[in-house]
Amino acid sequence: MKPLSRTDLEALARSPASDPAEWIRVQLDTGGIAAGAEIVFNEINRIRLERQLPIALLRAGSVGYSFADPVVEVQARGMPRVHYGRVDAQVAGRIISEHCGTHQLVDEHVIATRRRSLTLTDPVTHILVRDTGPESGNKTEFFQFSLTEELKRRGLAGKVQVVRALDMGVYDKGIVVQLLPSAVTYANVLASDVARIVTKSVAGGKVLEELLWKETDKQVRVVLRNCGAIDPDSLEDYLGRAQGYQGFRRALLELTPEQVIGELKASGLRGRGGAGFPTWLKWQLTRAQPAAQRYVICNGDEGDPGAFMDRSVLESDPHSVLEGMMIAAYAMGSSQGYFYIRAEYPRAVERIERAIVQAREAGLLGENILGTGFSFNAKVRLGAGAFVCGEETALIASIEGKRGSPSPRPPYPSVRGLWGKPTAINNVETLASVPAILLRGGAWFAGLGTESSKGTKVFAVTGKVRNAQLVEVPMGTTLHDIVYDVCGGVLDGKDIKGVQTGGPSGGVIPSQHLDTPISYETLQKLGSIMGSGGMLVMDQHDSMVEVAKFYLRFCVDESCGKCAPCRIGGYQMLQILDRISRGRGSPADLVTIRRICSAMQKASLCGLGQTAPNPVLSTLRYFDEEYKAYLEGGPSYARKMSRASTAEPAREPAKPAVAP
Amino acid sequence: MTTHLPAKHAETGGGRDLKKADEAALLDLLETLEHKHGFIPREISEELTRVIEVRLERLRRIQGKLDSTIRRDVKVHVARWREEEGNLIMILHAIQNQHGYVPREVAMELARELGVKLARIYEVITFYHYFRLQPPGAHSLTVCNGTACYLKGSADLLNESRSRLGVSEGQTTADRQFQLEVVRCIGCCGMAPAVVVDGQTHGRVKTSDIPGLIEAAKKQESKK
Repeated sequence: MKPLSRTDLEALARSPASDPAEWIRVQLDTGGIAAGAEIVFNEINRIRLERQLPIALLRAGSVGYSFADPVVEVQARGMPRVHYGRVDAQVAGRIISEHCGTHQLVDEHVIATRRRSLTLTDPVTHILVRDTGPESGNKTEFFQFSLTEELKRRGLAGKVQVVRALDMGVYDKGIVVQLLPSAVTYANVLASDVARIVTKSVAGGKVLEELLWKETDKQVRVVLRNCGAIDPDSLEDYLGRAQGYQGFRRALLELTPEQVIGELKASGLRGRGGAGFPTWLKWQLTRAQPAAQRYVICNGDEGDPGAFMDRSVLESDPHSVLEGMMIAAYAMGSSQGYFYIRAEYPRAVERIERAIVQAREAGLLGENILGTGFSFNAKVRLGAGAFVCGEETALIASIEGKRGSPSPRPPYPSVRGLWGKPTAINNVETLASVPAILLRGGAWFAGLGTESSKGTKVFAVTGKVRNAQLVEVPMGTTLHDIVYDVCGGVLDGKDIKGVQTGGPSGGVIPSQHLDTPISYETLQKLGSIMGSGGMLVMDQHDSMVEVAKFYLRFCVDESCGKCAPCRIGGYQMLQILDRISRGRGSPADLVTIRRICSAMQKASLCGLGQTAPNPVLSTLRYFDEEYKAYLEGGPSYARKMSRASTAEPAREPAKPAVAP
Repeated sequence: MTTHLPAKHAETGGGRDLKKADEAALLDLLETLEHKHGFIPREISEELTRVIEVRLERLRRIQGKLDSTIRRDVKVHVARWREEEGNLIMILHAIQNQHGYVPREVAMELARELGVKLARIYEVITFYHYFRLQPPGAHSLTVCNGTACYLKGSADLLNESRSRLGVSEGQTTADRQFQLEVVRCIGCCGMAPAVVVDGQTHGRVKTSDIPGLIEAAKKQESKK
């Protein structure tokens, strides 16, 4: 690509590129590829070339529907745009012949759109149906049959197709029906409503107010705005279809560095890595340091097990992270940036490296960018599997090529960081939000979220949840909304026990506190932290003692061993927990655990040691009786519990705790 | 230019066995001769000396070649990163990508090339989980033990893999065929529990799938 000029960028802002008329977009991120997205891609390509079809085959990152990988998005003439999930080679063939050929949707694979409409704008062409109640006694097929029969009776059989959907985006609301292409959605549909839906809505074009599902989607996509919609390997796509580098253009050509920081201050953006330090302040402090060189680092060392939002953003939209870094560099007067990414994420590394090369070719990186005199370069550094390197000072040591041991703060990195120079370290998600803020203004961003925590946050919801996926919601959304309304509740309809947030540094939030609106402060009050955004749903069968032990073992393994509270305290606590979980603990152990926890929190050198007791403390706080049960039950109880966790829970009959 | 050290090591390893057998045969021969003649005829001892010297010469040549390829490879890696500050970890990544682990000879050569102490290099290698000091097995089975996988039964998968392969995590089977690894999280939490066999990720794995996965990987080798 030849270097871009100012006028090129301005022209792109005014006239974005348009999509081809017909396309199939395959989501090729690590999760998708693991589920077979490459096979699907090759199969579609083979059929397309064989039959010489005029359908564009495009690559994309992940839209976040991890539960349905591999996901394929299809746009065909005269058809609603649709996501298909759990696609394999055979389904790919059917998508081409049925969806693109005979204009029929493919049963059992459609993921209903989250952009639900309240008015019927176009004549109905397809009807999605799914029983969103419990799996047993599923009535989806029955409703598909009765809707089809009713359509036949009205003479609409050839014009409207009824399709069983994979996912409706509405959960536990009985039979849900969606009329495409308008995406009017009816919930709690009864058999007696079928005739009305067909006569009034399909034939008459009227919305049935009493059935209409009016709730809009809880998600607001800021960080994930381009994920799954653009080709992560194409700068043209980012520039043309996602207003790429327009935020950077505005910052560079229209604003002074102080104004950029001012815009960030107005947005109220706080660090998304977990601690929630105001981003504008971090940049201001770094900028205020007198130095010849300043550095900006993107922290992509997502070591928290169960979190994959950074990987997904880096893989699906690398240019927006790079753009965010460039804006940060301009704001604080830095000319060199580093991406520190886990070596375990080879695809993310590859895509960010390609993005850097492309941006350099386009003249967006390098010397004298767009003729403004601003120079900036970015490089990639690989992590090597050390959780502690997510900590600022350890990360800096690792980039310097040393052991990733943290060092005491102050001096903070914004004063003395990489090679002794002022350094700002921002999380992937933070940087990905920055271009959107510059583009749409800080006030718009501040309009989302709560008083203290502005904007949106991406969560990776996993564990015993029906739809494990990436979720981006405004701050202030409750945990209950995320788990039940967005992700469909607990797997197999079981009762929820708690949600773990923040990974090994966070805590468990019990079911009675699920209605708390999420913000940095409220989570802290509950004994957990926001963390990078891993959210683990646990049902009644998960033992909290085991979960605490799991996280603690993680921290003990990952402790760098530099300071004693973390090295010794963690190990001793793990020994005690292990003893308790084998039923050989004594009541005094709980007292000792609390003492070790408080010592670690107060005396550890870095965040790893200070937060390592959180999982233990929060489970002790909310699930005290589980620990006591292990203490009182002794070894026989412990054996029973370990058997229960491995055996199929359904076969384990519920026994009364005390025999009559 | 990519030399494959593990293969070479296997050769020299095999060579050691051969030499042992040779030595035993040689000693046997000498013993019979001594028993028969009461002495070793000069022609025979001279011939033996010659053979041994030829062998030694060949061994030295192979060793020298190995050393020079190591030196050349290390030079290439260092040249790529020479200009950059804090390059050690990136060079180690390049070395591990080439060999599958960081061989001691290469680390020593690297120390010479960079002009730093060997301890400084080992300090870094041993700190990070990612770097290996042992050659990897021909196949790898990696069980993800991220939180999502853990909740969905990765411990059972690990137990099954342990008993099927007869090794514990971080170890390689005696025939160097399989290595068992545990990884923190591969970010495929949506399809937990996940297992990676030879770079191929498998999601929603059940305990009963493990033997099949191992067999399939072994078969792939025989096809090659």
